[in-house]
Amino acid sequence: MTAVRQIDPPEHLHAEELTFLAAADDGRRPPGWRLTPRAVVTFVCGSGGAPVPGPGGSRVIDAKFVGERALVERCVVTLAGERGLLLVGEPGTAKSMLSELLAAAICGTSALAVQGTAGTSEDQLRYGWNYALLLAKGPSAESLVPSPILTAMTTGAVARVEEITRCLPEVQDALVSIMSERRITVPELAGQDGAVGYAVPGFCLIATANLRDRGVSEMSAALKRRFNFEVVPPIADFDAEVALVTRQATAAVERGGATFAVDEDVLAILVTAFRDLRTGQSAEGWEVERPSSVMSTAEAVAVAASIGLAAAYLPGPDPLSLLPGHLLGVARKDDPADAARLLAYWDGALRRRAEAGSRSWRQLWEHRDVLRD
Amino acid sequence: MTDPRALVGELAGDDRVLLVGVRHHSPVLAAAVPALLEAFAPETVLVELPAEMQPWVRWLADPGTTAPVALAADALVFYPFADFSPELAALRWAQRNGVPVICCDLPLTDPAWESGREGASGPSLGAVVRTALTGRDDDDLWDRLIEAGAPGSTPEAVRRAALAAGWALRHNTVVDPLDLRREGWMRGHITRTPGRVAVVVGAFHAPALLSGPVPDDAAATRPEPVISLVPYTFDLLDARSGYPAGIRDPRWQQAVHDCDADPARIRAAAGAFAVEVTRELRAQGHPAGPGEAAEVTRLAADLAGMRTLPAPGRGELVEALQTVLAQGSPAGAGRGVARAMETVLIGRQRGRLPAGAPVTGLRPAVERELTRLKLPGPGRPAQRLRLDPLRSPTDRARDLAIRRLTACGIPYATPGTAGPAVGGESLTSTWRLEWTPGTDAALALAGLHGVTLARAAEGMLTTRRHRETRAGGPTPDQSLTGLEAAASCAATALTHTRLTDLRRSVCRTGTITQLVTALHLLTRLDKGHFPHLAPAAFGTAVAEARADLHAAAVAAVAGTAGSTRVEDARALYDLVRAADEAGLLLRLGHAIRALTRDGSPLIRGAAAAVGVLTGHEQPGAFGERLASWVTLPDTAATDRLRGALSVAGALLQSGDEILTPLLTTIDNLPDDDFVRRLPALRGGFDALTPADRDRLLATVTDRHGPLDEHLPTDAATLATWLAADRAGLAALTALALPPTTDHPHPTPAAPSPSAPSLTGPSPTALPSTITAEQRWRLLLGRESDQLPARQRRLATALDELYGAGHGEGAWTAGGGGGQDAAYPQVRDWLDELEALFGADVRDEVLARAAEHGRLDAVLAADPERVRPSIDLLHAVLSLAGGLPEARLARLRPLVARLTAELTAQLARRIRPALTGLGTSRPTLRPTGRLDLAATVRRNLHTVRADAAGRPQLVPERPVFRTPGRRSVDWQVILLVDVSGSMEQSTIWAALTASIVAGVPALRTHFVTFSTEVIDLTDRVTDPLSLLLEIRVGGGTHIAAALRYARQIALVPSRTLVITISDFEEGFPLGGLLTATRALTDDGITLLGCTSLDDRGAPRYSTGTAAQLAAAGMPVAALSPTELARWIGDQVR
Repeated sequence: MTAVRQIDPPEHLHAEELTFLAAADDGRRPPGWRLTPRAVVTFVCGSGGAPVPGPGGSRVIDAKFVGERALVERCVVTLAGERGLLLVGEPGTAKSMLSELLAAAICGTSALAVQGTAGTSEDQLRYGWNYALLLAKGPSAESLVPSPILTAMTTGAVARVEEITRCLPEVQDALVSIMSERRITVPELAGQDGAVGYAVPGFCLIATANLRDRGVSEMSAALKRRFNFEVVPPIADFDAEVALVTRQATAAVERGGATFAVDEDVLAILVTAFRDLRTGQSAEGWEVERPSSVMSTAEAVAVAASIGLAAAYLPGPDPLSLLPGHLLGVARKDDPADAARLLAYWDGALRRRAEAGSRSWRQLWEHRDVLRD
Repeated sequence: MTDPRALVGELAGDDRVLLVGVRHHSPVLAAAVPALLEAFAPETVLVELPAEMQPWVRWLADPGTTAPVALAADALVFYPFADFSPELAALRWAQRNGVPVICCDLPLTDPAWESGREGASGPSLGAVVRTALTGRDDDDLWDRLIEAGAPGSTPEAVRRAALAAGWALRHNTVVDPLDLRREGWMRGHITRTPGRVAVVVGAFHAPALLSGPVPDDAAATRPEPVISLVPYTFDLLDARSGYPAGIRDPRWQQAVHDCDADPARIRAAAGAFAVEVTRELRAQGHPAGPGEAAEVTRLAADLAGMRTLPAPGRGELVEALQTVLAQGSPAGAGRGVARAMETVLIGRQRGRLPAGAPVTGLRPAVERELTRLKLPGPGRPAQRLRLDPLRSPTDRARDLAIRRLTACGIPYATPGTAGPAVGGESLTSTWRLEWTPGTDAALALAGLHGVTLARAAEGMLTTRRHRETRAGGPTPDQSLTGLEAAASCAATALTHTRLTDLRRSVCRTGTITQLVTALHLLTRLDKGHFPHLAPAAFGTAVAEARADLHAAAVAAVAGTAGSTRVEDARALYDLVRAADEAGLLLRLGHAIRALTRDGSPLIRGAAAAVGVLTGHEQPGAFGERLASWVTLPDTAATDRLRGALSVAGALLQSGDEILTPLLTTIDNLPDDDFVRRLPALRGGFDALTPADRDRLLATVTDRHGPLDEHLPTDAATLATWLAADRAGLAALTALALPPTTDHPHPTPAAPSPSAPSLTGPSPTALPSTITAEQRWRLLLGRESDQLPARQRRLATALDELYGAGHGEGAWTAGGGGGQDAAYPQVRDWLDELEALFGADVRDEVLARAAEHGRLDAVLAADPERVRPSIDLLHAVLSLAGGLPEARLARLRPLVARLTAELTAQLARRIRPALTGLGTSRPTLRPTGRLDLAATVRRNLHTVRADAAGRPQLVPERPVFRTPGRRSVDWQVILLVDVSGSMEQSTIWAALTASIVAGVPALRTHFVTFSTEVIDLTDRVTDPLSLLLEIRVGGGTHIAAALRYARQIALVPSRTLVITISDFEEGFPLGGLLTATRALTDDGITLLGCTSLDDRGAPRYSTGTAAQLAAAGMPVAALSPTELARWIGDQVR
């Protein structure tokens, strides 16, 4: 029995579904795949409420990723062609989750991942050495420390590189040869076994990149050409986003043993405000000044959870009165002008809604003084 | 509930009637129709065309006709036909086989058409069902079910699928009464026609045709329509062009049709399209090759496989192209892909009519229209006309026709020279009208867009908008002109679209001036000044657009911070007033306060005044502030006063609170202080119109009581008093008493070093001789003739520079008389200035003179005697732009001295930021040069004793050295905007560039741009010739400059591109963003400077700057030192 984890990897969390889907569809699979491409799509996007027939009776598959089905189809087809897949999008659009789900469904593990940072070195993408062993015994397969990518290559699994644009360009370019030649040469082992690590069928690479990190370390054109790009958009459907925020905020609050008691109306207002500020256009189509900081669904969940926790542990004022302060906390990160933009939102779209007679919007409008400097 | 299968089976299985339910553009059905007809062998073919079109069927099906062509009946219905139209396929089959064709739709003369609905196919399939089959919004049920699924099926299967789709669409839909009537009429035709008939109709109508009531004959109440058959083009056929009954990507549809809907051939066609798109991309300079094309083809085919389709459809191809090629950046590579796809998938095919087909279309329609309106037609003499469209209905119709002709680009009407009324818009218009051969030619072109004038005009305007959109626009200017054109042509729908454009473009990137223009245009719309548009037609759209514009204006206010133009101060006031009406004052207070704090002097003054006007500041406080400016250093005072007075001139006459502190300060200034400050203050009051000055003078006089022109007693007595006073003063001075503090006018006993030294009896030697009234006359430059002689000299010297003012009351100027003759030689004037005000003031007046275009004054100045300042250099260079070489040569010494001095000063400041660029630093990245000492230091914790007891170090984390950069040089590309005027930023940029060029590790390029890009790199080491070589003027095309920078960049990762501009791009923003993305994608480091000077208060378009920052070009206002430091940081 494993200890309780804060976050369970998808291959454990959905182990039953994966086994079921593997047995249910006996169509042709790309080499090295556990499921057929169509079953992968079903696993990620759900079966839309319809039961999927299988050997041990039929079963409804839940949607795990809220978004366009065509997008997931394209991702799966890209991977089936053994081409690199690069998921790009605003922060907080569930890119990493999508890549984990795909990896878990295709090869049964989402663990072969490299997190990209400015400190990521080539060792982490290719191979490193156990220096003590290296000094003691000289270069040998034993003293070689393979990177997750090398492991994925030799086992035919899906390797993931998170936040690839945060790696320095020269480190990123280590991937170019991996993706075109599909092998890693270890010159130190020349003449021994394992001097060349070849990719076996099934190996493919999913990378994620953040649109807001643009310009930190831009990818080279050579590397870009080796990836198919998929833009993961913020959730388009308002109701789906409210549902997601409610679900995740509830889970976050209940993990601590408290109950989530925030009015649905408040959550709807919260999500509306986030969407307005994210898109630069209100639900009614009015122009809204966009703050420069990220206003993603993930931030909305965090704010909803904070309000939920405040309501559970520090019951007191109307939860709506907490909203302006939290919004300010999200918006005002690096540009001081963002506070002014939030104020403009209050004086523009929000005031109009309040004037149109919506009660809760008017309440929110009355908390404007929180934003004044 | 009846079984849909059975119903469709019934529809499809009729023995006598072959029902073919179609969408008007459907390649798979068009490919199937000939086979279906061949198999059924009908005796008659019925098509869904109004009866009036019967005579045109033979021309339509004529072998000489090349599709696409379009049949139109006035403005009522419009049927474009392409090779992939099933109807055209049916007509051609019938023509080949000699089978008669009947147009079985309701005649257009029927009253049912009155209900007026565009298009003829019932609700468009796409509009009704935006199905969630794949969740893409540009793909509809028909595309999914029929177009994508059909390839490879038998014609009969395709026909049944189409009938089923039609049935599904119609199911649970409320059918329009017009459609019901048309279907009844068609049923009548089917019943009446003997023998086997094939019916080719819209799939939506098909289910209703076999059974149901048959109506009586039509009651022809409507006038007989005029039918026209005109050639058409693929780009108009594309749904995105905004024309009715279009389809997306006609060339793809054509290809599917040409493949006879064979899956293998469609797959091949998809591959061919992929190759074409990559070739197009390569032509645009994006990397894309056969590898990508192969991947596109594979991805499209595999997607189709996963979706159980026989062959990739349009949707799959588009998805694959975007996934593989667009690289996730809608602004960069994505835009290029979109453009390439449009070029390749839409195509440019043009239709042709067979020889002998009757001429129809726009020209006859226009002639009829002109005759009706009694305007000159072909062969008639030219005519002049004044129209008053708001009063006379005839004039309204004429005005509309003329404006539509103009919108179509048809040379017929020339606007008259009777200019608009001053300060308002003119409500009447004058025209010169003549039909010329050019009119004929242009009509033939415009005829492509519609067969009536209204349609052609709307079509032309729509096409123009489409073209702008395709180029990445529309730009704010384009949407402003577009809105005006659409509104004056009464194109209501287009006006709506243009309103949306306006909100999008002007609100995001518009400059203050454009925002004001837009607000003005909206007011005209609201007030009904476009006679053909009912203001009510737009509902809340105008109000919403206005609200958006106001919001944008408030956001744009920050962009004026650094302006030195009086127009911007006025625009600020206009905007603030407008925002006041819109209730945006809360947010605005924030912005205005920021401007009073951080703006340029001019804007600070204006913002302070605006603060009073909007109630953010107490008038009293403003008065105090106004008074405090008087004692500020010269230029600061001038600019602040100019800013405040240009906004709030009238304020001074009204508020006592505001005026009192200013008056007191002026009154209490000692004489010589006053004289010294006079030129600066006079410059500030120059912003007032002469009439305003007169009123202000009257207010001042009221306060001090009228100026007594009469002596209180006889002259002799007065002279005695005066003599006694002077004697007393002389006695006091001899005692050398310390001056008392409460003395209102300190004696000028100790003149300042710059005090005037005139020969002869000095008037200023007299105590406090300038009274308050005289001071104001001097400040305002009015009534100088009433001043005593000594002060008249002051006034005349300043009048020489400032003149008498502009605007209201300017005609009263010149009252003093003989101003032109005041100084026969400029040198005299300069000497007089120096004598009156001192050398410092003279230099400053000189700079102002240069700003006012007084070249003679600048030429007369002695280079060695002027004090170098960036202001003076700026003013002089502004003049130099328009000079011939001969006169430039005389100016050169002055510029040379100023430049040399300023460069030396600047170099001292910025050199430290750039030294030591070549040294190498430790790094953890393996570079090949091990830093032994650092490695040992870092790995000391790994020291172990080996078997022999010697310490052994395990270098877990080796440290390396970066390669020394002295050999590796960086490229610094300065792109300098010279579009507007010679800005101070430009001068600073040139000076900075010349210093940076002296650093060995940097290669500096200096490129100026307006609409043209000029590389001045060869002169970069010599700031003098660089500055004299710069030519200002023209529009702003930042994208072109960035593209040039991309060409000259050698090693992208070691290239810095610095753009110095106000970012008021005159070309589509899309192009600019694409160029920016292209540079960042290459790995080039970008920086945008809204201003490069020591003040740090820029004037720029905030919207564009924000978008650029999002695309990877951070935008900031920097001083030259900060810029140098930034360069140093990047390179190290």
